[in-house]
Amino acid sequence: MSHLSRRDLLRASGAGLLALATGSALAACGYSGSGSASGGDADTGTVTVWSWATAAAALRGVVPAFEKDNPGIKVDVQDIGNPAIWDKITVGLAAGGQGLGDVLHIGCDYLPGYLEKFPGGLANLSEYGADSYKDKFAKGLWPVVTGKDGHAYALPWEVNPLGFFYRKDYFDKAGIDPAGLATWDDLVAAADRFKAANPGISLIGINKAANPDPDLDFLQSLMQLQGAFYFDLQGRITFGSEPDVRALATVKRLDDAGLIADAPGDQGWATLMKAGRLAVAPMPAWAAHYLETKFADQSGNWRLTKPPAVIAGGKRTALVNSTHLAVAASSPRRRAAWKFVEYALTRTASVNSMFTAGGVFPALTEAYADPMYSAPSTFYGGQPVLRTFADLAVDGGDPTNYSGDYARALKLASDAQTKVFLKGGDPAAVLQDAAKQLAQQTGRSTA
Amino acid sequence: MTAAAEPAAPSVPLAEEARRTHRSARWRRTAVPYLLLAPALITFGVFKAYPILDSLLLSFTTGSGAATRDAGLANYRRLLDDPLFWTALRNTAEILVVQVPLMLGLALLMAAGINSVLVRWRAVWRLGVFMPAVTGLVATGVMFAFLLNTEHGAVNWLLDAVGLPAVDWLGRPFWARMSVVLVLTWHYTGYNAVIYLAGLQGIPKELYEAAMVDGAGPVRRFTAITVPALRPVLLFTVVLSTIGTLQLFDEPYVLTGGGPDNATLTVSMYLYQNGFRYFDFGYASAVAYALTLLVSVLGAVQMRLMGERGT
Repeated sequence: MSHLSRRDLLRASGAGLLALATGSALAACGYSGSGSASGGDADTGTVTVWSWATAAAALRGVVPAFEKDNPGIKVDVQDIGNPAIWDKITVGLAAGGQGLGDVLHIGCDYLPGYLEKFPGGLANLSEYGADSYKDKFAKGLWPVVTGKDGHAYALPWEVNPLGFFYRKDYFDKAGIDPAGLATWDDLVAAADRFKAANPGISLIGINKAANPDPDLDFLQSLMQLQGAFYFDLQGRITFGSEPDVRALATVKRLDDAGLIADAPGDQGWATLMKAGRLAVAPMPAWAAHYLETKFADQSGNWRLTKPPAVIAGGKRTALVNSTHLAVAASSPRRRAAWKFVEYALTRTASVNSMFTAGGVFPALTEAYADPMYSAPSTFYGGQPVLRTFADLAVDGGDPTNYSGDYARALKLASDAQTKVFLKGGDPAAVLQDAAKQLAQQTGRSTA
Repeated sequence: MTAAAEPAAPSVPLAEEARRTHRSARWRRTAVPYLLLAPALITFGVFKAYPILDSLLLSFTTGSGAATRDAGLANYRRLLDDPLFWTALRNTAEILVVQVPLMLGLALLMAAGINSVLVRWRAVWRLGVFMPAVTGLVATGVMFAFLLNTEHGAVNWLLDAVGLPAVDWLGRPFWARMSVVLVLTWHYTGYNAVIYLAGLQGIPKELYEAAMVDGAGPVRRFTAITVPALRPVLLFTVVLSTIGTLQLFDEPYVLTGGGPDNATLTVSMYLYQNGFRYFDFGYASAVAYALTLLVSVLGAVQMRLMGERGT
């Protein structure tokens, strides 16, 4: 018995009960009007938007102007919370779209899964003209919103290029200029000099035992800097590929050189940072604001530069992650919903007002012309950090396919990394093993 | 004939009516209990029987949402080749073999202690022993996560105070498993001790008096009277603890998340991951049925081994 047939059964029994209760055939008609395939293209009515935290608040800021320019459409932005929103969307899609908001804020780690597991659950936005915006966003994002059929199912909102935040005071003491580090191996080569000048200070903090959750952001970044990930764009497993092995081998070399501190538990990293025991934070755009507010007493000590490449001459940009707005296929007012998405995400004024209000770094590249991206920041010693991220986003990264099996892949990659940290595992061997397991678990082929 | 037949004629429908009345009365009588039972039966059917059956059907499918399709026995075949499932099973077995005897042994000693007339304020002791069993599992997990913290935990502080090296309790595979054993033992020993205490109080005092007259010491009395008399209670706790450990989820989930490197991954946690993290409900159902089979077989074996001699 499939989910689908059980759902139909429930729906039928529900309709039957309603029909019994009202003695009217209208009840059954009411049911036939909803469901996944039966959304509508109305361009008026109230559009419900599901988002979370500051992003929801930022989105609300766009609503008055939109409603003024689009009479007949009202917008209700709801803060569903993260991670609660993923369960709610999953349940809604599994129920054939019933109960879903009209517009859904979806991360790049969930979008491909929803497209794969619930085909027809999200509206095809190419039908409304989404493709005309293809080149307006940071390079590497369009493939993320494109389904296997080549149509767009969302528009990019937020993009997070990878940055290399560093403690200038520590590097100065060691006489090293991070801007001059071309590769991560250059950092390994300078390890002794750095440690001699800064006893007790490590470069990066990682929760080595992955307890209670995986800590894979750094490893993933090293893969993404090479245009690689756990899957290729066709969805084949690439765990054992040369770039992936190189990424984990780089982590191992950094660890062997004594540059990686263990950051146990979910507070480990923050504890090390607070104590000033970490000199580098390889983190994306959103961290600019985060570091500034969370570790305010270290103001003036931090700087930002491009991340080093993994191999000599390699790429120094990676788009770590992104979030998007999609329209539920079950929405009875898909056109109105699309109008709001288009209004919010393709106009410089909207995305920049949302960036100011909620810190969501825009994917729309023409937004970076605004002078605020060149403003100096005290926390970063007067450096215009946003300009660095804007430049990195314009450079663009290679697209990352998270696929519908990201959660599984993340767990297996985490296990592989833990084996390297705790048991001295060989990067190539542990990743080959992970690839084999992932293939066994998902039925995907290995590239 | 006619005269005799005449009064008989209306008696046929009368008899029929009487029978009907009787039948409807009987039906009413039988229906009432069923009606009274109906809410429970319907609730059981909807929330227990249906999910149990549906899960069985689900275990023969793959994919989720609109992409669900039949998979035959593929999930069960996959189970046999899945190293993580076997890791989870091995972890569960290791925890079972170490933890259950340790906990039940301690519980028995504890019960004998608080049952002794030599102990004062027995009620306070009993309360203290049972207290951990009523502590919420999540609270327990969080509390032990603090206690076992490598750098700031009280346990390592104590070890340091007596000159022992600090232990990375939650970060090393072996110690993470030991931590789970520790938490389980802390949480459930008192619960079992209370069950044993009830059993102990049912043993006739005369047996002990006779044994004392015969010159049996405390150890001999414990092994020759207490343990055999407690056999049904022992069986009960062994079977319950075995089933409980096979279904172990909360403690490792809160304490270690199954890590490091799956050292504390249990079968139930693996089931949860497949179902609610990877949305692979078909495979999760297959894991559930494999676990059910295991619990049934192990339970039956224990009943056979211990039950026969006990009765």
